[in-house]
Amino acid sequence: MIEKIALYESAGYDPYRNLAIEQHLLEQVKPGECILYLWQNQNTVVIGRNQNAWKECRTSLLEEEGGHLARRLSGGGAVFHDLGNLNFTFLVPQTDYDLDRQFSVIQEAVRSFDIPAEKSGRNDVLSAGRKFSGNAFYRNGTQAYHHGTLLVDVDMQKMGRYLNPSKAKLQSKGVDSVRSRVVNLRELNPDVTIESLKSAMADAFSKVYGLPLEYLSEDALDRDYVESLYQQNSSWEWLYGQKIPFTFEWEERFPWGGIQIALQVENGIVQQAKVYSDAMDWCLAPKLETALIGSRFSKEALRERITSSEIGVEEDLYQMLETV
Amino acid sequence: MLYPADLKYSKTHEWVDVVSGVATVGISDFAQDALGDVVFVNLPAVGDEVVAGESFGDVESVKAVSDLICPVTGVVCAVNEELDDAPENLNKDPYGAWIIKVKDITDEEELLDAAAYEAFCAEEG
Repeated sequence: MIEKIALYESAGYDPYRNLAIEQHLLEQVKPGECILYLWQNQNTVVIGRNQNAWKECRTSLLEEEGGHLARRLSGGGAVFHDLGNLNFTFLVPQTDYDLDRQFSVIQEAVRSFDIPAEKSGRNDVLSAGRKFSGNAFYRNGTQAYHHGTLLVDVDMQKMGRYLNPSKAKLQSKGVDSVRSRVVNLRELNPDVTIESLKSAMADAFSKVYGLPLEYLSEDALDRDYVESLYQQNSSWEWLYGQKIPFTFEWEERFPWGGIQIALQVENGIVQQAKVYSDAMDWCLAPKLETALIGSRFSKEALRERITSSEIGVEEDLYQMLETV
Repeated sequence: MLYPADLKYSKTHEWVDVVSGVATVGISDFAQDALGDVVFVNLPAVGDEVVAGESFGDVESVKAVSDLICPVTGVVCAVNEELDDAPENLNKDPYGAWIIKVKDITDEEELLDAAAYEAFCAEEG
């Protein structure tokens, strides 16, 4: 039974640090306690634990525009965060995990702005059929969290661009995202701002649990531990180097002929490369294959390999890489 | 709900079967029922070191991602790669669909026999 509730608000907008704080809070939540964590990320695509980064997100475009790709511990699909989005996390011991009660905090908070809110399926909260909150869940064996987004005033155009995967063919096992019709709460009631929603969430949390709210300060965190989780969360291995194998295929036609490249990638590294071309005098396929094998699957690394292969059509191949 | 008598169980709902120094690990019927439909199993690789009480992978179901907690300390000597293509086997046949095998065992968690585990599950509801 929950006997103590506490609130922690993150002051920063770095997704890797915010996710590190989330994990740290989870591991320190005590029996009988529920922590509500409120946080925001600037210009970030967050993918689910078992998703392929390239399949779900236009990672190059996101990076070029100063955005971040992050991976969370929970399941489900890719979401876009900017400062028009408020994230919440309920952190509890597994035995005190109560999904309905946690969802009712969200509904209560949103309804305080006279916005109707209904839960849909396991993961979504909607208003008049349009989604303003996507939720996901994680259990570490002892503790559990339930987190989600609250769209207040998110740049929907960016959301659509980053989450629109490339046209190149990527085949992978893992978990696929599901597209939804979304709505900003601000559109439903202009009084909703990040600040007003934060305080509505805090009030609803206290009301639903029938307990006074304690405020946690940064002193509650072990800085060194958060730093180590930050390093892990921002590492290439965690974001891209997943064990799940996938294949990536391009096909393009140039004045000199057509070319098809198929890469098999495991742990984020190209294990096999197959190059086919119908250009009659083109016998450089094996050379290009050899150059690509062992490369990291990233635009920059593949570009370097193509440069070093010296096969004469580098510029055209760089153009193909734009879809990575 | 099935609790085969020849297996040992952890409080985080993994089962373990040790034969000639090799531990076969899976998740219990109670665990698969609580998870709901499993959509993906994140497996370790052969040769990975695993530690009793620590995560060795995760299971994603329609309800949540749940870490898999290893009941023993040792080295992974086999993984059930069928689960890559058929994660639902954990729901259909939790005691047939093993997840990993561990050798060179140096430590194990406190494990329950079938009767004690069944009583533990009854308490958890």
